[in-house]
Amino acid sequence: MKIILVILAMAMPLLAKVDLTTLPGRDSVQLTIYNSADLTLARESRDLTIRQGLNRLQFSWANTLIDPTSLEMQPLARQSDIDVMDLTFPPRVRELGLWNINSEVSGKTPFEISYFTSGVSWRAFYMGTLSEDEKKMILQGYVNVSNNSGEDYENAQVRMVVGDVNLIDRIAMLARRQYAYDNPVKMLGQTVTNTALGDEKLVGNNFSFDYAMPGMGMAGGRGGVMKKLKEVVKESLSEYQLYSIEGTETIRNGWSKRLPSFKPVEVPVKNLYKFDDGMYGYTVQRFISFKNDKEHKLGEVAIPEGMIKVYRNVDDEGHLSYAGGSNFKYVPVNEDVELALGSVEDVVVEPMLMDYKTANYRFDDKGNIKGWDEVRTFRFELKNTRDVPIKLEIKRNFDSSYWTISNEGDYGEYEKIDHDTVKYTIELGAESKKVFDYVLTSYNGSRIDEYIKK
Amino acid sequence: MKIIRTILVLVMVMATMAQGRIKLVALPERADSIVRLDNPQFTLIEEERVLTLQQGVNKVDFSWKGVNIDVDSIRLSVIDHPDEVKLLNVSYPPNEAALVWEISSNQAREETVRISYLLGGIDRLVTYKAVADKDETQVDLKSYIVLRNFSGEDFDNTQIVLDYGQTFMRDIRHEETKQLQFFKKTEVPITKIWTFDARSMVWDPETVPDQNIGIPVSYRIVNDKKSKLGDNALWDGKTRIYQNDGHDSTIFLGEDNAPMTPVGEKVELKLGNSRDIVVTQRKMDTKDINKIFTKESDYRNRRLVMFDREELITAKIENFKDKTATLTMIQQIPGEWEMLDCNMKYTRKDNNTIEFEVKLPARSADGPAKKELEMKYVIRHIRANQQPRVINR
Repeated sequence: MKIILVILAMAMPLLAKVDLTTLPGRDSVQLTIYNSADLTLARESRDLTIRQGLNRLQFSWANTLIDPTSLEMQPLARQSDIDVMDLTFPPRVRELGLWNINSEVSGKTPFEISYFTSGVSWRAFYMGTLSEDEKKMILQGYVNVSNNSGEDYENAQVRMVVGDVNLIDRIAMLARRQYAYDNPVKMLGQTVTNTALGDEKLVGNNFSFDYAMPGMGMAGGRGGVMKKLKEVVKESLSEYQLYSIEGTETIRNGWSKRLPSFKPVEVPVKNLYKFDDGMYGYTVQRFISFKNDKEHKLGEVAIPEGMIKVYRNVDDEGHLSYAGGSNFKYVPVNEDVELALGSVEDVVVEPMLMDYKTANYRFDDKGNIKGWDEVRTFRFELKNTRDVPIKLEIKRNFDSSYWTISNEGDYGEYEKIDHDTVKYTIELGAESKKVFDYVLTSYNGSRIDEYIKK
Repeated sequence: MKIIRTILVLVMVMATMAQGRIKLVALPERADSIVRLDNPQFTLIEEERVLTLQQGVNKVDFSWKGVNIDVDSIRLSVIDHPDEVKLLNVSYPPNEAALVWEISSNQAREETVRISYLLGGIDRLVTYKAVADKDETQVDLKSYIVLRNFSGEDFDNTQIVLDYGQTFMRDIRHEETKQLQFFKKTEVPITKIWTFDARSMVWDPETVPDQNIGIPVSYRIVNDKKSKLGDNALWDGKTRIYQNDGHDSTIFLGEDNAPMTPVGEKVELKLGNSRDIVVTQRKMDTKDINKIFTKESDYRNRRLVMFDREELITAKIENFKDKTATLTMIQQIPGEWEMLDCNMKYTRKDNNTIEFEVKLPARSADGPAKKELEMKYVIRHIRANQQPRVINR
């Protein structure tokens, strides 16, 4: 343990020699860990024996990543009799703060100390297993908690916040400054002192995916009793979600831990493919789509952003094939989810310009051209070589706001996305082909005015 | 006193003056001192000292070492007998951090004087901590002074003063930083606001598929009596905002730099981004109409001098939250324009900016609560040799 709290008893009010009287340990600790920033709110309670009059408490945190500007102490009892007067960061020492506390009473009092630390992080991680017909996906969600803060947190109540918090300064930077609130006199060459932890890249990136994690025992008795998986209680607060892991956890410095965040669910899914040359070039992108709602056996809470790896069952013996992985963004309740699995070659979209001509010339009284139309015929050949039916979305952008379109062949619904973009949605059966043409007429010069009048 | 700052009272023997300065040993101790922090850039130190003055002209030597005092800022005021004790002049010895006051007194006496000066390397920050209730209707607000002393001087039992709130008597060592709570207000009402600003935010989330477009969320606090504030301007400072979580603990919601907020003004502090409100804005139509050309006989030489551009903008707003929300939506229409059709009420903030307040119900079992803005406007475009310039401010 690197975080140490000492009560200093003083014989004389000032400049006196200090005696170390008690060294109270942590009674409980709660960690509220954020995923959008390298930030954890730690809250610990300690029983302190204080005396009537002035008490001095020394709090030190060498080789950890505590933000001194976040330090706060408050009594949890007898608040009206106890005054936390000030917090001093004394000269020429780092990672140490002194509280002056004036008390009308003496005796054992519970105190709460809270602070931000860098280096404890969490992230969501998912695994999806598609059924052979790809109509369903078993979705498993996990949370990974890592501790690179320099401090061991034993029997901590672990909570995680899903949310995008606004931060002015990075906590790791605040933790590494030489002076708690920096120095108003800027001197050349005076830089932040490094803690023993060194490289910041450590934080949040060295996750371990092993289930067996010695040294990361769950709190409570050991022995031959089968343990239940811990529940993660989810609730929403302000714009965020708070996940609280049942019971307590011990997370030592350097370790990380993976816990299931919800029970595996079988979600009905759609195989979605997209062709959008503006966004992805001339490739077909694969997506798994579903909705975070009751119909898809979800919809209780938002799904936090995280990485997903998607597999497919290939036979009755449970063998798997890896379909792809992606990061998916935060999904509110009732929102659509599209998991991007990357570009594929087993679904083919071939756009071709089949015909180009001009028409409807308009001339001024001198015989100059003042208006004309361009007529382009595009052909789309769509091939689904897979053994499952799919849905395909094709987006087209026209670089003009003055156009009309007419379709022929196996085209699906078309939707105007904005003034110069349309989207076709087409269902393709297993191992099937479709062909459709669209004729795009775009208007130039005085033909635009005629188009507008129509 | 580790850093040497001495005041020497010299009893003058005029004849010896040519030999240089003679320092006599009379080292009055600092009596009361004040560190005044109401100016965010400069820290004023005031200290009182008792001088033992002789009848006639006295020379008082004030010198310092290892500290940064603005020489022009040094003032001396006579406290006890301002009519009988007069400061005649100030002289500055060469190559020394010192000055010499010539003080005349009509009789020998112990006189209290106050010396004021601006000291470098000592300043303060103001910080705030706000804890919101679970419903986000009010906050408990605490403000702290963070005194940073890197001046080179130790101060013993000094009064620390901002311009309002509590004052403190403390020792402050060189290189010491001290955090002091200087006011606390409970149950300060807040308004929670969500903002979509079409001028700076992504219009269509589909164009950035792997990212959430968060809607900035802020708390608005008004510095007035109704809000239990309004006695003083609130100093600028970093504000950390927490919320009671209903389990005897708090979560951290976010932090923002509060600007200086005068009495009667409001301050908006950003917490973070909401990903449960989604705005999808698109330009559904744009067309140039009412074109006017010059009258050149050859069509090819005609120049377009005026036209109107008609645009149709839609913005779908979805609330996925299980609570209601009021979204402030800011839209920009530049130049000379006219609204042709708009299905929501707006206020015109300035020529180019309009603002909508969109009340969003909570989501239902069927899906998110949805509203859609549809506005059609026309912007006049002029391409003359001399274009009229629109001055926005």
